[in-house]
Amino acid sequence: MKNARLARHSLRMMSRYKVRTGFMMLGSVIGIAGLTFVIAVGQSAQRKILKTVGQMFGDSGIVIHDGGGQMMGGPHGPGTRLKIDDIAAIAKEVPGIEAWDPMQTITASVRHGDSTDNAAVFGESERWPQVWNRTASRGDLFDETAVTGSARVAIIGETVAKALFGSDDPLGADIQIGSVPFKVIGVLEAWGTDPHGMDRDNEVIVPISTLMRRLTNVDTISAAKLVVTDAGRSDEMKAEMKRILRERHGLTSGQPSDFSIITATEIRRMVAQVQRVLFFYLPLVAVIVLVVGGIVSASLMLASVNERIAEIGLRRAIGARSQDIRLQFLLETTITMLAGGVGGVIFGYAVAQLGATRMHLDGVNPWMAALLGVAASSLVGLLAGVLPALRAARLHPAEALR
Amino acid sequence: MIELKEISKTYKRPTGEPVVALNDVSLHVESGEFVAIVGASGSGKSTLMNILGLLDLPTAGRYSWNGQDVTTLDANRQAEMRNKKIGFIFQSFHLLPRTTALENVELPLLYSDRKSIKDLSRRALDAVNLTDRIHHRPSELSGGQQQRVAIARALVNEPDLLLADEPTGNLDRASALEIVSTFRSLNRAGRTIVLITHDQEIASFAGRIVKLEGGRMVGDERVTASTAVTQEAQ
Repeated sequence: MKNARLARHSLRMMSRYKVRTGFMMLGSVIGIAGLTFVIAVGQSAQRKILKTVGQMFGDSGIVIHDGGGQMMGGPHGPGTRLKIDDIAAIAKEVPGIEAWDPMQTITASVRHGDSTDNAAVFGESERWPQVWNRTASRGDLFDETAVTGSARVAIIGETVAKALFGSDDPLGADIQIGSVPFKVIGVLEAWGTDPHGMDRDNEVIVPISTLMRRLTNVDTISAAKLVVTDAGRSDEMKAEMKRILRERHGLTSGQPSDFSIITATEIRRMVAQVQRVLFFYLPLVAVIVLVVGGIVSASLMLASVNERIAEIGLRRAIGARSQDIRLQFLLETTITMLAGGVGGVIFGYAVAQLGATRMHLDGVNPWMAALLGVAASSLVGLLAGVLPALRAARLHPAEALR
Repeated sequence: MIELKEISKTYKRPTGEPVVALNDVSLHVESGEFVAIVGASGSGKSTLMNILGLLDLPTAGRYSWNGQDVTTLDANRQAEMRNKKIGFIFQSFHLLPRTTALENVELPLLYSDRKSIKDLSRRALDAVNLTDRIHHRPSELSGGQQQRVAIARALVNEPDLLLADEPTGNLDRASALEIVSTFRSLNRAGRTIVLITHDQEIASFAGRIVKLEGGRMVGDERVTASTAVTQEAQ
């Protein structure tokens, strides 16, 4: 009853010193906004990475790239030696491979009438839908006959369809890739944007044999994906594949590999490392900002105690116990930091939402960040308030009134 | 009602000799009395006020209320005494800025455990004739009005003792006289008042004048009714 009265009174007093309260709030607004931003974007980025990894590797994929190199996305050494036969040999010799798909890719201009679009053109086998877990949302996919017969059929992505046909139906229409005519037989199920900002719907899928014979005129492939039955054995399988490929390419022990193999397991390990950065170091930075904000609030509160010595003396004279004074100052900082925290969550969330759109992330989920933000700001408020509150409570009434 | 017995107060200083602010002061104030304590600055009257108001403790001597020693009470019980039994009035008013007269008067109720606090502050403001100023802020009130708000605040918890420390020190003559006559009528209504001042004329409104000099009591005399009446007539 008495404390509730005191809390109401504190709130009223704070509302009368808006500038002072506002400055105290600022520290926690910035800190919590940072924390909220980092957590919200981090979560969203994590989801995005996991989704992309899932799309590319599935649970049990192994990808072999032409050219040496260690890291995915890192530099690949020169190499034009990976062939379909190499992958076929691996599939035959290494047990536990469920399916595989070779891939060759170029960037080419795709035309229909007067409309042109620059798209990534992928040559794939008929096993592509199964191996990459992709499909057509409209129309058909191509079959084995189309691949052996080098049929000029294409499945186009939504972006390509929009660029060339607008709202018209592209199915059955003729398009030109480079100077070669193709017939559109299907439209790809939408994928979205990958973490590099590449529009994965700006793609055309054609039979790999057609791409090799009609467009690129080379018989090496860019990459191949293999789906294995037991992902737990992927490290051993990778070693086995490496041995077979090196042997087939005639590489002696001193020579570097002219291909690279990445397994889903390795990628998951890498993602875990990225997650450690996202969920440890970035929040750590935000927490440091929050601590700095807390120190600023504490020093402002100390200044406020000095400024209000006469008021504290008066309160003591009219019957405030030293714990009442302590409670009042603690309430003031905690309420201020809490309000700042709520403001920071809203602000940080707004910035996160903005950033997520620019980074092609899906919507950010604020709840976790909001909960953490509000808890952190009340804690910092309490900590920042303790020192000034103790100082205020310790003032000698007679001296404070002087 | 209250009794000081051989009260001394010595302040220790980090450098040099300790300062003796009060030396062997004994004072007995009966319920219903109006006592003025006069003295020049440095006479120890502020120290005496702090001790009477339980804002500070004496280094020696006994201070009792109705026979009970109050210097040995713990800090929280002393805070409760200040809240319930003593009403303070200061030279510089000590009103909270940006806060209405009514809210300023309500302040002591914040620290009391009274259940019903409605109307108490309004009644206190009525008692000092400020009914029409309850929503004014200190900056919108004259010095005399501000001091009357402070008196209302001192009265709001119905204390046994009103302690006023140089209440007219910051006021012009007219307001000062207005304030002391307020004290006078409060005293007539039965309120016990201890007024600390350096002003002889203000002191003459009291029923009894205690003189302090260099921390010692040098005089204690009753003012005759006739003197007081003459003063009031002026």
